[in-house]
Amino acid sequence: MTAYLLRRLLGLVPVLVGVTLLIFFLTRVIPGDPATAMLGQRAAPNLVQRLRTDLGLDRPLFLNLPKARETGVWTDVLDSQYFSYMSGLLRLDLGRSIYTLIPIAESIRHRFAATFELTLAAMAFAVAVGLPAGVLAATRRGTVADTAIMLLALSGVSFPVFWLAIIMIYVFSVTLGWLPPSGRLSIGMSVDQVTGMYVLDSLLRGRLDVAIDAARHLVMPALALGTIPLAIVVRMTRSAMLDVLGQDYVRTARSKGLSERRVVRVHALRNALLPVVTVIGLSFGSLLSGALLTETVFSWPGIGRWVYDAIAARDYPVIQGGVLFVAVMFAVVNLLVDMTYALIDPRIQYS
Amino acid sequence: MKKLMTALLALVFLGLASAQTLVMGVSGYPSSLDSVDSQDGNSLVVSAQITERLVDFVPGGTDLVPSLATEWSANEDATVWNFKLREGVTFHDGTPFNAEAVKFNVDRWNDPSHPYSGRDQGKTFVPWGWVFGGPLGEGNLIAEVTVVDEYEVQFTLTQPAPFLPALWAAVYFQFDSPAAVMEHGVAYGTPAVGSVGTGPFKFVEWIEGERLVLERNDDYWNGPANVEQLVFRGITEPTARLAELQAGTVDIAVLLSVDDLASVEADPNLQVAIPETELNVGYIALHQGNEPLDNPLVRQAIAHAIDRDAIIEAFYGGLGVTAQGFVPSTMFGQPDPWPYTYDPERARELLAEAGFPDGFSTEFWYMPVSRPYYPAPQPIAETIASYLADVGIEVELMTEDWTTYLADYQTGKFPMYMLGWNADYADPDNFLLTFFGPSAVTDLGWDDPETRDLLQQARQVADQDVRAGLYAQVGNNVAEAVAMIPFAHNRTLNAMRSNISGWVPSPLGYSSVSLHSVTKAE
Repeated sequence: MTAYLLRRLLGLVPVLVGVTLLIFFLTRVIPGDPATAMLGQRAAPNLVQRLRTDLGLDRPLFLNLPKARETGVWTDVLDSQYFSYMSGLLRLDLGRSIYTLIPIAESIRHRFAATFELTLAAMAFAVAVGLPAGVLAATRRGTVADTAIMLLALSGVSFPVFWLAIIMIYVFSVTLGWLPPSGRLSIGMSVDQVTGMYVLDSLLRGRLDVAIDAARHLVMPALALGTIPLAIVVRMTRSAMLDVLGQDYVRTARSKGLSERRVVRVHALRNALLPVVTVIGLSFGSLLSGALLTETVFSWPGIGRWVYDAIAARDYPVIQGGVLFVAVMFAVVNLLVDMTYALIDPRIQYS
Repeated sequence: MKKLMTALLALVFLGLASAQTLVMGVSGYPSSLDSVDSQDGNSLVVSAQITERLVDFVPGGTDLVPSLATEWSANEDATVWNFKLREGVTFHDGTPFNAEAVKFNVDRWNDPSHPYSGRDQGKTFVPWGWVFGGPLGEGNLIAEVTVVDEYEVQFTLTQPAPFLPALWAAVYFQFDSPAAVMEHGVAYGTPAVGSVGTGPFKFVEWIEGERLVLERNDDYWNGPANVEQLVFRGITEPTARLAELQAGTVDIAVLLSVDDLASVEADPNLQVAIPETELNVGYIALHQGNEPLDNPLVRQAIAHAIDRDAIIEAFYGGLGVTAQGFVPSTMFGQPDPWPYTYDPERARELLAEAGFPDGFSTEFWYMPVSRPYYPAPQPIAETIASYLADVGIEVELMTEDWTTYLADYQTGKFPMYMLGWNADYADPDNFLLTFFGPSAVTDLGWDDPETRDLLQQARQVADQDVRAGLYAQVGNNVAEAVAMIPFAHNRTLNAMRSNISGWVPSPLGYSSVSLHSVTKAE
C-alpha cells in the first residue's frame, strides 16, 4: 500500500510539470494580454510599452537568448517568463496577482477553505439524501415512489443552478426572511480563523452563535450546489443496486432466509457502492475546482469565480496558480477514491 | 441558559452597533486601495472614503470644489500651476499632509525610477498614463513638482493644460500617507495593509471576497461623518444585490438592473437614487478601412437607417437619452444636433446613390458585457441589425471575449462595432480626444488632421468660450464625416433603504460619491 502510494505520488510530478507548461502555454495563446486588458480603450503605444515592462511581459516566454548573447552569461537564457515562474514554484512562491498584488498563496488558502466548506456541505446533502433515495427507488422499482424519485432526479440535473439559486433567495430571504441572501457571515459577526471553514472554526472557538450564523449562510449555496450531484448519486445508486439485486448471491442470501432489510443493507448496498463512490469522488473533485454559478449568485468567495475572473482579465499568475492548484486537488481526490475501493472491496489490492 | 443569555446580549449589542453601520452593496471588491494603482469603480468607491484628492466635484455635479487643495492658479499660458494646500490636515497615521507629501505622491506615480514607485514589483499606476499622458519621458504632462513652501506646491508642465484642476479631480488621484507607502511597499493597498489617507473614514479590515470595513475618522478636517462604520460587500449579480437590499442586509445597492426599476419604485422600504445626468456615451463605430464603409454616403445611410429613439425607449427603461453628439449634453462645447434622423427612405436613396441599390453585407460586432451606456448589448445589436436589414444592409452579428474585443477594435478587425465611454474627468477633452485624437486613425480608419489640430488647440487655450467653439467644431466635423454614430447617454439605477439620506448620485458614477454626509435613521 505504501509503495503504491509513493509510486502514485511520484507519478504526479511529471503530470504537474506538464500542467504548468500547458497552462502557461494556453494563457499566452489566448488573444489579448494583461496590458491590453488593463489599458482597455486607452492603450496608447507608449503606455502599452511601459506596462509590459512593469509587468515583465517584455521578456521572452521560454528562452531569453538575446540577453544571454548580450551578457555572455549562459544562465541568462533562463531569464524568461516561464523559468521565472518555475523557479518561483520551486521556492513555493506562486507570485502575486497582477491586478490586486495579493500573494496568490494567500488567496488560495482563504478561497480554498471557503470552497471546501461549501463542497463538503453540498456533497453531504447529496449523499445523505441521494443514497437512501436511490436504494428506495431500486427496491421499489416500478412503483410510484420510484417514478417520483427518478423524476425529481431528472429535474435536478436539468434545472439551471443559477435560477434555482435566485428563486431560493427570493423565497427564503426576501419573502420569508428565514435565511440570509448571500455571503458567509452576517455583518458584525466574525470568527478567529483556524481552518478557514467558518462553521467548524466557530465551533472550535466555542462560538455557537457564530456557528449558527455561518451555517445559515451555508444552507442555500449547499442546496443549490448539491442538486446536480444529488441527482447523479440517486441515479447511480439506483442502477447499481438494481444490478446487484439481480445477482445470484443476493438470491442465495434471500433464500437462506435473511430479512430483506439485511439483504439490501449488507449484501447488496456494499457491493453497489463501488461505482457510487466513483461518481461521488468525481463530483467532489469537480466541485472543489470551484462552483462558478453558485459562488457568483451567493457571493461565496471560492476558487471558481476567482479563476474565472482571472481568465477574463488575463491575470496570468492567478490563472497559473489557481489552475495548478485545482489540478493537484483533482489528483489527490482521484488517489483517495482509488484508496477507498480497497476499504469497500477487500478483493481489490494495490501493488 | 447562561450561553443563551450571552447570545441574546450579543444580539442586542449587535443591534445597537449596526444602527451606526452603513452597508454598501457594490458589484465586487477592490482590486487595490492604492487608488492610482486601481482603475475600477469598486476600488475607487472604497479608497475615496479613505484617501482624498486635491480637487473634488460638488456633490451631484461636475463643478470643481477645493478638497486637499484650497486654491489654484496658473501662469498665462497654463504651463506652470501653483496649488495652495489645506493647512492642519494629517493622515490617519499622524503624518502631516503638506507640500512634501504631495510631491512624494506625484513623483511616485510620475517617475518610474522613484525609490518607492514599486513598478519593479508590480505596481503599474495605469490611470496615471490615461490622464497625465505617461510617466516622465514617456508622454508625460507633468514635468516637475516643486515644493514652494510647507503648504504650496508647483506643477511645471510639458505643454499648456488649462484644465489641469479637472485632471486632479479625476477620482484616481488620491493622496496616500508617504510613511505608510514607504513602510509597506508593494503590499500597500492590499487586504493585509489597506491604505492610509486624510479622508472621513479609516481602514479597519478587508477579508478577501467577503467584506471590507472602515471606521469613522473622528479628527476629519471637515467634521466627523454621520455613520460610525462602513461595510462594503461585493455582490456580483444585480438581482442578488437587489435581493440583499430588499432583505435589509445592505443599505445602498448600486448598479441595479433597469428591469427592476418598477419593483424598486413599488417597494415602500426602498427609494431610487438616479443621477440627474451621467457622463457616458455609447456609440456605433464605422471603420473606414473596410469597403464600403469608406464611402461617406454609405455611412450616412447607416446613420439614417437606425431608429435610435425607439431602441432607447425599449432598452433603457426611461433612464437613457438619445445622444446628439459624443459629449454628454450637460457639458460645454456642444455641436449642432445630430443631423441624421431616422429616415429609412433617405437611407435607401443614399445607398443607391453610393452604388449599392441592393444594399451590401458586413460584420457588426457587439460587446460581450453590458456597460451603463449599453445595458443590453446583444438585444440592442439585434434590433440595430433589423433596422439595417430593412434598408438592405445585411450585418452578421459577432462578438468575442471582452479583453480580446478591446484589443481587436484597435486593429481595424471590426467593420462596425459597439463601444462607449465613461468619463474620467468632466471635460470634453476626455471624450473627444479619446475618440477622435491620434487613435482615430487605427480605431476608425479616419485620418483627419484638421480635427486633430482642433483637439490639440482646445487642450491649450484657457478661454472657456474659445474651447467651447473648438469642441463644437470637432463635433460638427465628426458628424459631417459620420466617423461614428452617437447612440445614447444613460444613467445608472441605484437604490437605498428608505431610512438612508444624504447619498447624492454623481454624474461621474457611484465611486465619486462621498459617504461623509450619509445618515442612517433608526
